[in-house]
Amino acid sequence: MNQLEVYLFVALVMFCLGLLGVLQHRSLIAMLISVELMLNAASINFMAFNRFLTPEPAVGQIVTLFIIGTAAAEAAVGLSIILAVFRRYQSIDVEKARELKG
Amino acid sequence: MLDGLSFELFMAILVSVTPVVCFGLIMIFTLRSISASVTIGIIGSFLVWFASLYLFIHHWPATEVVIHQANWVVSESIKIPFGFYFDPHSLLMLMIVATISLVIQIYSMGYMAGDPGKSRYYAFLCLFAWSMINLVIAPGLLQLYVFWELVGLSSYLLIGFYFEKWSASEAGKKAFVMTRAGDIGFFIGLVMLMLTTGHLSVAVFSDAAELSKAGLSQTFLTVSAILIFCGAVGKSAQFPLLTWLPDAMEGPTPVSALLHSATMVAAGVYLTARVFPFYEASAAAMLVVLVIGTITMLLSSTMAMTARDIKQVWAFSTVSQLGFMFMGLGAGAYFAGVFHLTTHAFFKALLFLCAGVFIHHFDTNDFFEMSKLGARKMLIPMITVTIGVCALSGIPPFSGFFSKEAIMGALADKHNKIWLVAGLLGAAMTAYYSFRVIFTMWFPKGESVEHGHGHESGHGEGHDEGRWAWAVEWSMLIVLLILAAITVVLGFFHTRIEVFLTGHHAEHAGSYVVLALALLCALAGVVLAWFEFGAKKAKQVGFLSYIKPVEALFSNRWYMDHFYRWLLDYVAYGVFTNLFTRNDRVVIDGGIDGLTRFTISMGRVISRVQSGLLQYNLYLTFFILALMGLYFLLV
Repeated sequence: MNQLEVYLFVALVMFCLGLLGVLQHRSLIAMLISVELMLNAASINFMAFNRFLTPEPAVGQIVTLFIIGTAAAEAAVGLSIILAVFRRYQSIDVEKARELKG
Repeated sequence: MLDGLSFELFMAILVSVTPVVCFGLIMIFTLRSISASVTIGIIGSFLVWFASLYLFIHHWPATEVVIHQANWVVSESIKIPFGFYFDPHSLLMLMIVATISLVIQIYSMGYMAGDPGKSRYYAFLCLFAWSMINLVIAPGLLQLYVFWELVGLSSYLLIGFYFEKWSASEAGKKAFVMTRAGDIGFFIGLVMLMLTTGHLSVAVFSDAAELSKAGLSQTFLTVSAILIFCGAVGKSAQFPLLTWLPDAMEGPTPVSALLHSATMVAAGVYLTARVFPFYEASAAAMLVVLVIGTITMLLSSTMAMTARDIKQVWAFSTVSQLGFMFMGLGAGAYFAGVFHLTTHAFFKALLFLCAGVFIHHFDTNDFFEMSKLGARKMLIPMITVTIGVCALSGIPPFSGFFSKEAIMGALADKHNKIWLVAGLLGAAMTAYYSFRVIFTMWFPKGESVEHGHGHESGHGEGHDEGRWAWAVEWSMLIVLLILAAITVVLGFFHTRIEVFLTGHHAEHAGSYVVLALALLCALAGVVLAWFEFGAKKAKQVGFLSYIKPVEALFSNRWYMDHFYRWLLDYVAYGVFTNLFTRNDRVVIDGGIDGLTRFTISMGRVISRVQSGLLQYNLYLTFFILALMGLYFLLV
């Protein structure tokens, strides 16, 4: 079971689930969670490649740490945007927030 | 600077630059002050005249050509010079231009007295003189062309000088546009020559030996010569572009005199004579020149026979004399054509200036009216105008006689005698119409129906300038006397000028018969005019008025203006303008409208994509990315 493909496959599934979540859910919070899922899938990829392919072990881990950091910041920004949207429309449904349509 | 050659160069520069400096000075500084403008103009003309005289005398036996030139445009195969070119022909012409423009400026002091636009008038006169002088001394045909167009411009400005008058501004426009029609041909001809020979040097085109070295084909020579002749047709008012000239009478009379003697219309003849060997190289081109000259001469003589306006008569006679010069050139007589140009310049200026005195005094252009108002009492203008008319009709010993005889001799040398017959007919008509004017004016019949002395209206306010009135009067009369003296004397320099121009004196064998014939024809014209207009019981009605249709034809100028009007209305406006408007509206406007409509509708379609629904956009992005991934996987 200790094969690169397994990890990649798990990451792929997670990424697809995340993508599906972003595309399907109408709730902004659910979309934010799905984005986090996609980020984590990417982190798994980095860790897997680091583990199986590179002689220098630190690089992948550093990138993963960065991703976690960025994800936290992104969650903070995203949540505040969601709050603003909620205040404006009294809802966090993306269908409601379409004032920018052409 | 002070050794011989450079001093001469200095004089040449003086000749070619002074008038434009005067023009600039007047336009920039002295437009408000008439007396300063007049002073500048006249001092400038005197300078030019003295410099020309110096050059003329300095080069007198002119056996070789003097060229001062610098390169203007230099390219691999093209060299275009500018500068000065002095040979007998250009020196003679330079002298004529300088003299005539000087006397015209002096005359205008009196004629234009009291006109508020006098400063502008003098500025334009200077511009005109400048263009013509540089045209005359151009060493390359391109320089000639540039000044050729400037002559056109300044004639436009002067003909339309009374621009507040509708007919005058129209006449200016007409002169400008009609001469431009000919210039198109001229320009195409120049481009052809330039591309083939790589230079437009007058030195080559006016030298038969040099020209044959260039190795141009016969067809090429003919076509380019005829194209260049188009320019001369426009400028010198030859058939079929002759109708602008009678209308150009709308300008002040001294302008007509300048235009008709030494500058504008002479430019065409000068050009043809300038590159004469070039024409001589092609028999067909010479024939075209001859035919156009003959048609013009006969047509305009008939027009002059019915005109009642004295300036119109002289205008038509100018056209016919120019036709006569072209006949001379076309018949191969270089000297005859140029000599007639020379004599004509002086006597035609004289005739116009005399007409100007009468018009100034009687305030009418109708010579029947002038005669009734007592023109015969003004002795000096009457005598000088008679001298001018004698010269015009070719009566010995006045200058016109000599130059006409030279042309007649050349025509008689042609194998086909029809040209001689046409020439003789023209001579008879010329004598008839010009003596018609003179006899009418010397022998008034009947009383004037109009007011006694027409001082009230028009430009004639200048009469009463108090103690300067005599000066105004005399500035005009002295010019008449000078020109009359030249007209009387010039004929006797016939041989000298011929030697100066061509280097030898050619005897015309058996020309006495022709001489007698020409004199007879002229006398016949005079006698006819006497019985109709001069004799005691004459009714002062031309024989043409018995044949109404012919009279109508002549006085309507052979319906040429009507024809041009028709051509403009139905062909130019009716067909071409119509088509162009439709093209503009349907093709261009429609095309642009269609393009914008297409853009707008495409925008509408594509704007649906911008629904504001984030997830559909993401779907699309993902879908495209998936497609791209698939593509990279498979390829």
